[in-house]
Amino acid sequence: MNKNVIPVGPFHPLLEEAEYFTLTVDGETVVDIELDIGWMHRGHEFISEQKTFTQSIFLVERICGICSTSHPLALVHAIEDVDNIEIPERAAYIRTLIGELERIHSHLLWLGLAGHFIGYDTVWMWAWKYREPVLEMFEVISGNRNHYGMMRVGGVSKDVEPAKISELAKNLDMIQTKLEMIAKAVNDDPVLKSRLKGVGVLTKQAAIDFCAVGPTSRASGIPADVRKTDPKDAYGMVDFKVIVLQNGDVYDKLVLRVLETFESIKIVKQCLDKLAENNSPILNDIKEIKPGEGIGRYEAPRGEVFHYVRTDGTNRPIRHKVRAPSYVNIPTFQASCKGIPIADALITLAAVDPCYCCTERSLKFIDINHDPLKYDLLKISREKTESFRRQINGL
Amino acid sequence: MDKKEKFLQKFESKIEKIIDKHERLYFNVKNEDFLEVVNHLINDLGCRLSTATGMETYHHVEVLYHFSHDESGQYFCPRVIMPDKNNPTMNSITQLVIGAEWIEREIHDFWGVNFIGHPRLEPLMIGDHPKGAERKNQFRFKRVEHE
Repeated sequence: MNKNVIPVGPFHPLLEEAEYFTLTVDGETVVDIELDIGWMHRGHEFISEQKTFTQSIFLVERICGICSTSHPLALVHAIEDVDNIEIPERAAYIRTLIGELERIHSHLLWLGLAGHFIGYDTVWMWAWKYREPVLEMFEVISGNRNHYGMMRVGGVSKDVEPAKISELAKNLDMIQTKLEMIAKAVNDDPVLKSRLKGVGVLTKQAAIDFCAVGPTSRASGIPADVRKTDPKDAYGMVDFKVIVLQNGDVYDKLVLRVLETFESIKIVKQCLDKLAENNSPILNDIKEIKPGEGIGRYEAPRGEVFHYVRTDGTNRPIRHKVRAPSYVNIPTFQASCKGIPIADALITLAAVDPCYCCTERSLKFIDINHDPLKYDLLKISREKTESFRRQINGL
Repeated sequence: MDKKEKFLQKFESKIEKIIDKHERLYFNVKNEDFLEVVNHLINDLGCRLSTATGMETYHHVEVLYHFSHDESGQYFCPRVIMPDKNNPTMNSITQLVIGAEWIEREIHDFWGVNFIGHPRLEPLMIGDHPKGAERKNQFRFKRVEHE
């Protein structure tokens, strides 16, 4: 048997961020996959422990550009969990509104990228064209297309002005009409079906074994969704369905995300209706966070985001743990990529919507001999590049 | 009696320092009983491992696991305390849940914890750089411990 190794990454057209996969192939078939992370040097967990709680919210917003409200939401849930802090009803609806708009834009972003990866650029252009009005809605609400700065411990920082609600609802109707068109096209398209059906199957048992979350697990028949099982904010007060499909292939992951955007639109509409009739405060004044520990989680577009904080009564955490959904979804490649052709491997990798900057949120180097310059980041980066060059050239 | 109460009754003699609040159950468990508790959480209660958190205090290194019970929204968080800070050692749960492989490797990287039974305790995120480097950070060590 003649086996060859194909490196994918750490810099590859498919990967927007640096990550390294080694595919071992026998002919055209992938027989093994090696995952190598640690190519991005960040340090959010460490930096957070040096910031106040309010500053940490801004920090974790920058863990990921796409999930830029999921991490702050999970963090404020964790801090509120320490002391059982309640938030005003209006703030709960605003949080849910922002979270669901993020889900719509994230799923459309992925749909576009998936179309692009399989060479179907019409899907890419359609999906991204109709993602744009969602970003404009964010701009109307928060002043920013991304990194909205909305979350605070005890509520939200900005209100949704009643005068803007009708404009937002009109925009949402337009997005829904266009999404229905895309959904119908995707459902009827023989190219997508023949390219994606039965590709990169993640079985239900494998999803359980790897502790997969979000669309990755729901497409494999696991009905887990934090919005239903541990409802925070307004999720216990709105009506929506958890979409669950059974096949676990790339096509089911695509269909699931399309269907989830309709549920998100349904939630956003309910939130806008409530915001139009309710005019309560948006932020409770929190004077201090008591000593203790708290867990916060939120169903991000990619799955459960987990934050843990431990506090000592000061205005900053003594430990802040972050677990992004990609951290548990990426290892599922070991189950879904084995036995498939090379041509299917890359779309299978993309199907979990991996976010590598989320995955590598923790990395920090401190020299054990207390010489901060000994292992500076630039040196580490150069060493890794050199080691990769040697590996490729067989030196 | 819900699953949490049944769990507390079953492991009454094996868990201590129980904190039960807002559907989150934190408790300490000795290393020798740890796998039995985790086995019950995964195979009997059907919990899913969310992640684990490594930590160092003045007196010990600890690893806090977070198991989500998705049916009820409850969290079960067993904590293993390792007083030997120079050689913190505990059992790996990878034989029960393969999804723990990465997080245990990461904790080994940053906090120097040796997980007995881990199939591949290699650096995950620090490459060839010193293990336990994070743990040796003097800034963290000066922090006031909260028990």
